[in-house]
This record gives sequence, C-alpha cells and structure tokens, in this order.
Amino acid sequence: MLGGLIEANVESRKEKQHDFQTLVAKVGIWVTDIKEGVTLDFQGGTLVVHTGLKPKRRLTIRTDAETVMNLSNLKIGLLGLPVYYDEVGRGVAFKLLQGKLRIDGLLANIATLNTVTRIFSVQ
Amino acid sequence: MAVAAFSSDWAKLFKDEVNKSSVYKSAGKGWKWTVGLVVEAEPDKKFPEARGVVMDLFDGEARDITVGTASDAQKCDFVITAPYSRWKQVATKELDATKGMLQGKLKLKGDLPTIVRYTKASQEMTECTTRIDVAWPDEK
Repeated sequence: MLGGLIEANVESRKEKQHDFQTLVAKVGIWVTDIKEGVTLDFQGGTLVVHTGLKPKRRLTIRTDAETVMNLSNLKIGLLGLPVYYDEVGRGVAFKLLQGKLRIDGLLANIATLNTVTRIFSVQ
Repeated sequence: MAVAAFSSDWAKLFKDEVNKSSVYKSAGKGWKWTVGLVVEAEPDKKFPEARGVVMDLFDGEARDITVGTASDAQKCDFVITAPYSRWKQVATKELDATKGMLQGKLKLKGDLPTIVRYTKASQEMTECTTRIDVAWPDEK
C-alpha cells in the first residue's frame, strides 16, 4: 500500500516529481503494532519496495499503523518543510517525544527525511 | 434486536449510525465519492454468496447505504474487498481497518492519496459498524 501511495502521489503531483527523481536512499518503515515493515529503496526516479527491513538503510521509521497514516497526512509548509503545528503535525511530534515514533538515522539525515515526508504526504 | 450481517436492515442501521456521528460529519467534509465494500463469500462460514455494500457518501453525510451484489460495489469510485470473516473481524474490532489495509488484508482500489487523506473518516465509519447489534451467520 505504501509503495502504491507514493506512486500515486508522484504521478498526480508535479511538485513531488523533482524530489522523487533526485532521492537516492533506502528508507525502512517498521509498523510496530503489526510487526511488519517494508524498505523503500528510492533510486533516483525509481522506487523498489522490499518486504521487511533490508540492510544499509539511511533512515528507519518505527511506529504504529495509525502514526504511519498520520505521517502521510502531514502538510508541507514553507521551504518544503513538514508542518508540525497543526493537529496532525502536533500529534506526530508528540509521538516522537513520547518515543512512540522512532526515526533511526534522523539527526544525520534530516534533509532526506524532509524529502521522504514531502513525497509521502497526501496533503 | 440483532440484524443479519450485511442485510438491507443492517445497511439502514449503518447509514443511521454514520449520520448520527458528529465525528464522521466533520472528518468526512469534502468527501464526494462512492465507496463499495465487497464481502467475499465463505460458504464454510455460512456466507455462501458474495455481497456488495454500496455507500453514497457526500460531504460528511451518508446519502444512502444499500446492500446488493458484489458487482454493484465494484462500480464504486473506491472499492474495499475482503472475505466475510475479515469484515466480521473489522466490525467486531478484532482487526483495525487501517492495519488491515497496510497489511493487505483489506484490498483497496481507488485513489490512495484521497483515501489516506480521509483516514479519520474511514476510522469513524468502522466505529459506526461496531455500534450495530449484528447476527453473524457463522454464529447461528
């Protein structure tokens, strides 16, 4: 579903195509409450979705299913940055503070995270 | 009194529950597409024929919810398909619909970004189904 969502986003929104064309990174998403995950392998204009967490990931997002959906509902604001001050954004930020949303590799890869968030966002 | 699962009586009660929900009214604002739920047959669970639930949802209101054939539901703008027992799990809160979609247990057809945008509305609709007293055929 996540791969299909990204594909649909990129096809329908021109502004996401540049991000998709330039992003080269492996991003893992582990859904904690269903104990399943995927690795999104962005290859500069191509996306390969692997089942499970594959090695050499730049970022790994670990959270519950509801938060995964909320991440895709983050609005994108000024300078292409996610909006964390509205209801959805505050919820995501709160989960991060509580430790219910973990992003391994966050500090060294903030730009990559922002790019992935923009591609993932349906807003 | 319990109504038969996925019957016309059930559809009427479901519609009433959705329209009573202030959460749905707010979360569903802007939604203007039909949603079909395909309930696949499971004869071993005493659900011998597939059925379709057709939901005419518009801007926070359920204009109509009817039960017909699976092909009726498949003509909708968005179609969610699962076997009878899976839908029962959703309606009895044994399976969260969001998790079900992520796991591929509920098969979704339609514009994914749109349906993800309305996650809260779909979660509330699931809640509405749990408020109906249902007689499940495999529990008779």
